[in-house]
Amino acid sequence: MNWMAKTRLGAPTATPVKTPASAATAAAPKAAAKPGPASSVPATSSGNVRISNALKEFLWLLSDIQRPRILDLGAVSQSTLNFFIEKGFRVSTEDMLREWKDFLITQEEQLRTAPVGEETERRSLPALAEKFVTDALNYPEQSVHGVLLWDLLDYFDPAVVPILMERLYSMLHPGGTVLALFHSRPAERFHRYRIMDSQTVELLPAATLAVHAHVFQNREILDLFGKFRSSKTFVGRDQVREALFIK
Amino acid sequence: MWHKTDGKPSPETPQLPAGGTIKSQVTSEPPAPPAVPPAATAPVPTPAPRAEAPEPAVVPAPAQVATGTSRIQAGLKIHGEISGNSDLYIDGELQGKLRLGNGRVVIGPNGKVQADIEASGVTIEGSVQGNIKATESVRLGSGSRVQGSVLTPRIGIDDGARLRGKVEMIKAGSSPSASASAPAANTSETEAPQPIAASAKAK
Repeated sequence: MNWMAKTRLGAPTATPVKTPASAATAAAPKAAAKPGPASSVPATSSGNVRISNALKEFLWLLSDIQRPRILDLGAVSQSTLNFFIEKGFRVSTEDMLREWKDFLITQEEQLRTAPVGEETERRSLPALAEKFVTDALNYPEQSVHGVLLWDLLDYFDPAVVPILMERLYSMLHPGGTVLALFHSRPAERFHRYRIMDSQTVELLPAATLAVHAHVFQNREILDLFGKFRSSKTFVGRDQVREALFIK
Repeated sequence: MWHKTDGKPSPETPQLPAGGTIKSQVTSEPPAPPAVPPAATAPVPTPAPRAEAPEPAVVPAPAQVATGTSRIQAGLKIHGEISGNSDLYIDGELQGKLRLGNGRVVIGPNGKVQADIEASGVTIEGSVQGNIKATESVRLGSGSRVQGSVLTPRIGIDDGARLRGKVEMIKAGSSPSASASAPAANTSETEAPQPIAASAKAK
């Protein structure tokens, strides 16, 4: 899958291909200036619905694959599930943030009850993250065509994120796509995401699972996805950056 | 006080699937809910009359629990295989296998199932670790936790439900066993899947 190779009429046109080196600076202005029905309303601030150019493009990128396998790392949702299943996708869900929280609670409990001095080295955060990611994302290599990461990276501890990214990269099929959102400032409240249609995402206010851990700068994002072949970023009026990365 | 229960099954008395079979080891849970005196909670691993099953004092499950439904109440653990065509309500614990050809199964809010489930309909309010295959529908309630693949023609997911695994759609009415033996022929909408349980059976 390649943005350069994959062209079609009516496809999103702005900022088509960016190498990691150039994407950070160019993405926001171009996306904001882009005309067209979808891009004219990059994000709605009223209500809890946002128009998602990235989702539209995500679907387009997967449209050539027969029965692509999607991994939704957010909360399972009837609407999202129906949307993908009706389109013939294979869907797997892993509520990563909630699972991570539960995992930490379990580990903390084990630590509390463990004999003093035992396995303290293995309980460092990166070690825990490694264990968690291995267990939670137990998918074969290159078996997933698309990953809906939503804004989860903003909420994970920065020490965990590279480990998670490494695992996602290995799971992703060559040409596979990751859709991720990044807040430009700490999110005011915790949301879950639900797909309404091919370019509309509903934000569902939810009980806070984790505090906003980090606001990623563009350079940090590109470094994080450095292994990926190309990237594309959309910036909404709410300053939430939608990013697509292709393996 | 206790004599009042004579001749009438206690709400805590396990009622096993009529017309079905259980190859299992049934154990009672020591810290059973103290809803009734301990003497009345002792599990009896023999089929109990179920027609006039008394309604338990508290029915936490939604209205899907029909009157003729067999019940495995909270505090009861079963290790083994349950099969048959009766509807089943599980609010206890089950480890093993659950096959209800035309029956529906409801996992109550206290239910913990570590088993592959095959039934016409599956409603989950508790926790399930295993693969689920339903010929009609699967419903995940708001308090449900499911880890495993779901194979069904229809699925309903309430907000708050937790699902770790894949969801695959099959044609309505196709028997779970048929889809297991010939997954490519019966799984339609999504993929020619290799559900874990199906693969195991194929071997």
